Amino acid sequence: MEGCTILGALSVTTGVKDALSIVHGPNGCAHHNFSLLHATLATDTDSRFPHIVSTHLSEDDIIFGGEEALERAIREGLERDVGGIFILNTCIVDTIGDDTAAVCRKSWRVPVIYLPTAGFLGGGFSRGMLNALQTLAIHAKPREKVPRAVSLIGEKNLEYEVEENYTEISRLLESLGLHVYLRFVRDITIADLTEISRSGLNILREPELMPLGDLLRQRYGTPFVDRFPRGFIGTLTFLQDVARTLGIPCEDAVAYEMEHQTRVLAKFQDLEGIAVHLGRDTSNSFLREMVDLLGMFERNDGIHLPIPIPEPVGTGGVERLFHHWRRTICASL
Amino acid sequence: MRQIALYGKGGIGKSTTAANLSAAFAERGLKVLQIGCDPKHDSTRMLMHGANIPTVLDLVRERGVEPITPHEVVFLGFQDVRCVEAGGPEPGVGCAGRGIIATFQLLEKLEALEGDVVVYDVLGDVVCGGFAMPMREGYAEEVYLVTSGELMSLYAANNICKAIARLARHGRSKCRLGGVICNSANTHPREQELVEEFARRIGSALMGFIPRDRMVQLAELHKQTVFEYAPTSKQAQIYRTLAVSILENGSLTIPIPLETDQLETLALAYI
Ligand SMILES: Nc1ncnc2c1ncn2[C@@H]1O[C@H](COP(=O)(O)OP(=O)(O)O)[C@@H](O)[C@H]1O
Ligand SMILES: [Mg+2]
Repeated sequence: MEGCTILGALSVTTGVKDALSIVHGPNGCAHHNFSLLHATLATDTDSRFPHIVSTHLSEDDIIFGGEEALERAIREGLERDVGGIFILNTCIVDTIGDDTAAVCRKSWRVPVIYLPTAGFLGGGFSRGMLNALQTLAIHAKPREKVPRAVSLIGEKNLEYEVEENYTEISRLLESLGLHVYLRFVRDITIADLTEISRSGLNILREPELMPLGDLLRQRYGTPFVDRFPRGFIGTLTFLQDVARTLGIPCEDAVAYEMEHQTRVLAKFQDLEGIAVHLGRDTSNSFLREMVDLLGMFERNDGIHLPIPIPEPVGTGGVERLFHHWRRTICASL
Repeated sequence: MRQIALYGKGGIGKSTTAANLSAAFAERGLKVLQIGCDPKHDSTRMLMHGANIPTVLDLVRERGVEPITPHEVVFLGFQDVRCVEAGGPEPGVGCAGRGIIATFQLLEKLEALEGDVVVYDVLGDVVCGGFAMPMREGYAEEVYLVTSGELMSLYAANNICKAIARLARHGRSKCRLGGVICNSANTHPREQELVEEFARRIGSALMGFIPRDRMVQLAELHKQTVFEYAPTSKQAQIYRTLAVSILENGSLTIPIPLETDQLETLALAYI
């Protein structure tokens, strides 16, 4: 089971700071998602409210059509200081056939962008997220590239450690002389969306976003690396992949990262020789690698280690996982 | 209280038949309520002498949450037949089916669903759940299919049989098929035989044959039912007879819908 497409899309659109997301449907569809997003984002560094409003559809709007209610909500939205508006369809308005796209096409003061998000049309949270990213990706024109600029594509705004992961990727890119140019889509403005064509490389959060990577390559000629780094070896491969894609050297960065990883490992020597158990899914090669590196070994009656979801990003993510494991181990010794 | 629903293809003559039946019931001293459940909202026009009464959904749209009173949606027509039109959204937007459901709920709330006979005049094809509303529990318990010998109208009638049969499978539904009314389109000489055979094949019976008669158009031009315009005419007499057959009808069945090819073979046989 997966969440609704609309939540996936909202996790993207609420990443645009100066935009308003209008959920076209009954109150509850907006409120439910608002609460979820708010609760998740509040644990983050800032606890801004996500900019989400509803078109407050009632039974009458369903009978007579909801387009007027939508226009009203857009007009009210424009009274605020917004750089753009996203319209997200709920199930009921797609059922009765509201022409949301046509309402969006009218000449509004700011961009009003329609996202097809009705849950009953299939797909779940991830499809909603991918669709939203794709919709937002096509508003740029091909332009000259900014030297050494790299964009992060599809950061999971609702996952824990999203900022820590960002810091880690930035660190790795800097070791190659690169920098994060655009976080697509997190903490940016409507105007920033058009900057997507200017990065020299895109890094996808995970391979599931490949269709978006392809789209950006076709439209703007930007190559991509298909995932954030995972595990020690994965982190080194990541540096090589990035360098190869851009045709730049990476020997120094890789050598430095290996030393760094050795230093990290050294901090966890106390875990050597401990019997652990990884639960059912011991086929996970990444977890295997981590257990081996620490000199621990697997046994059915070993200490049950928590399996991280999602998997930790880069060397920094692994270090946090090791701390977590150590706490678990200490607690059960 | 008898609750009767007329279903059939668009333009086949449901409203004409409904209005004249209502007039016939009223003539017999029955209290009649006719509810037009077609967004076209012309079911009761002849009973109302050509006036387009405000529809329930018009009122809902204008009023919003403000309460609506029964006399704002129920109008007295010819022979004191009480007339209601459900209405609907502008063509091409919204959801007419949901509109029917909302209309019924409002009429319930207003306690307007009363009388000796309620006649529901419903849109041709049961395109969605909303248009099956009159067949739901608590509303029409007998459905009359209005059809001619034309294949497409038989096809629509057959579809409605499917809806009734489906509803009947839910144990609690009391909705049954009362019979078939042939409103002639003068399609071919054996039209009546064809419709009679169709009725038999779906497990029902022909309730009456209404010839195509200029009188209907004449009455319409005078914004009247045939009953009012020419009460002693042959056509009025036919509606009277039909009304009696319906009132005396004790045979309600769960129809057996035909397959499309069966229907086509049947139509071919009577060409
Ligand atoms: N028996 C009949 N003889 C002549 N004309 C008829 C007859 N029944 C219906 N009509 C005409 O057919 C047209 C459509 O009828 P109507 O009752 O409005 O159909 P529906 O309600 O099924 O859409 C009307 O103009 C009506 O005058
Ligand atoms: Mg009609």
